Amino acid sequence: MQIAVSGGKGGTGKSTVAINLAVELARRFKLVLADLDVEAPNDHLLLGVELAGEEPVNQFMPKFDYSKCTKCRKCAEVCEEHAIITLKDGTPFLMPNLCSGCRACEIVCPVPGAILEAFRVIGHTYVTETPYGFTLVTGKLREGEERSMPLVVEAKKRARNLDYELLMVDTAAGTGNTVSKAIEGSKLLIAVTEPTPLGIHDTELILQLGKLMGLKTWVVVNRADLGDVGKVREIAEKYGAEVVAEIPYSENIVRSYVSGRPIVLEDVPEAKIFRELAERVAGFLGGGE
Amino acid sequence: MQVAIASGKGGVGKSTITASLLYFLKDRYKLIAVDADAEAPNLGLLLGVEEWEEEREHIGAKVAKINTETCVRCGICYERCPYESIYIDEDGNYIVNELTCEGCNVCGLVCPVPGTITLEQARSGVIRKATTKYGFPIISAQLDVGRPESGKLVTEEKEWAKKLMDELNLEHMIVDSAAGIGCQVIASIGGADLTILIAEPTPASLSDVQRAYKVVQHFRQPAYLIINKADLNPGFTALREWAEAEGIPVIGEVPYDRAIPKSMAMLKPVVEAFPDSPASKALKEIAERIAEEILG
Repeated sequence: MQIAVSGGKGGTGKSTVAINLAVELARRFKLVLADLDVEAPNDHLLLGVELAGEEPVNQFMPKFDYSKCTKCRKCAEVCEEHAIITLKDGTPFLMPNLCSGCRACEIVCPVPGAILEAFRVIGHTYVTETPYGFTLVTGKLREGEERSMPLVVEAKKRARNLDYELLMVDTAAGTGNTVSKAIEGSKLLIAVTEPTPLGIHDTELILQLGKLMGLKTWVVVNRADLGDVGKVREIAEKYGAEVVAEIPYSENIVRSYVSGRPIVLEDVPEAKIFRELAERVAGFLGGGE
Repeated sequence: MQVAIASGKGGVGKSTITASLLYFLKDRYKLIAVDADAEAPNLGLLLGVEEWEEEREHIGAKVAKINTETCVRCGICYERCPYESIYIDEDGNYIVNELTCEGCNVCGLVCPVPGTITLEQARSGVIRKATTKYGFPIISAQLDVGRPESGKLVTEEKEWAKKLMDELNLEHMIVDSAAGIGCQVIASIGGADLTILIAEPTPASLSDVQRAYKVVQHFRQPAYLIINKADLNPGFTALREWAEAEGIPVIGEVPYDRAIPKSMAMLKPVVEAFPDSPASKALKEIAERIAEEILG
């Protein structure tokens, strides 16, 4: 079973919601939290844990054996990323940063052994046991690498290979295809938003994505007192989504964010909101709705 | 000059600060703004843009399509897709998930039945232009949901902006980049003369801005730092220490200020909506320093 925490705009509190829900839901489910915001993974910082269990993500890169290459240019023609350029005589060269590792060049190369397998490390995945009774999987793209999709795919794969009852994914900002990849397979999408015009604008995009993917979607309004929640409700309704929680702007949350200790563990009013939300999620997953 | 504004982490105030800096700098320079957050563009909203004057569709992304009539259901495409973007529907048909397909055409190459899998052009989004009420133009993009290639949209935005700079004789391009460090951000920072990094004093923001700075270093550009919500976390000195150790000049600090969310709700730069607020005063000083030390 899988659920996703997402929400168009950056900085609306996706990770805060994800980690607090994870801590609370880990009491009811054997849980894995996957931080698939591979360009800026922060869940471990918010949980106050050091990343562990590092594994490199190796991406295929073609390596040309020039003694065998017939300079037919097929590899360059088929490369949708234009990562292979050819000299006038047809000699191919690779521009590594553009290569997506898809192997299309290898597939079309007519000479066995002319394209050899090489790899480069485009990032890492981590599996960290947290002190809160669940496992955190993190994907981290290497700086300077452009393509986050392979990292999202690998981190999600690593998470899925673990033993769990509930997999919770925390996505990147935006609504591009890496976000769809992260969300894919979820039984529930929780979109975190702010009730500002900008937040509402971006919420509409994530709700569109949820609808396109046919997902049951809930909306959590963060910093609810900084804007007009009614407008969020309107937009949610338009997409058949439901506003299920409102979190006020809170110094307590900021402090917990900074100190790396989930607020749900503290005896403060904000903790109750997360606990109730977790209960609602558990109810939904247990067939309660 | 081309100036990129980046942060790694989302929500630390890139667009808010960019909008305010543009507001101050517009009187002194001939500017163009580029909102390079194609997945969640907000700068136009913050600058009060209501209508776009010109819109160009970006057709560039490719998506594989499987003809279920001729498909022999051998499953090779399903096995070979690098992104697990092919699924089998209830009737046993192999279908490409357009929301995750990267358009690499591996499925088409391995398919044994010619013509069954085709790679088709798809719209990835739109790029648009407006003239803000402040007089300077803005280029913004909107990626269609679930599409790849946001980086290519940003590259095209910047090309359009460069053309406008030539036509209108503009001096500076200010690029507000997306969160993260991937293709959109690389396209934003690449080609810039320098990057202004924005971070807040939290461990998450520090971690992300450090990653963004590595991208800046790849391009061998100078970087500057603005610390936003500077008084949020008085005990946290690691951000400043990092900047100092790396030799990144801090060109200013903006205090946490409720005027900022209020101004966002009004769809105005905070410096216009609440010019006397503490954040606005700090932003004015920063704009002056940028004018003196960077733009010249």
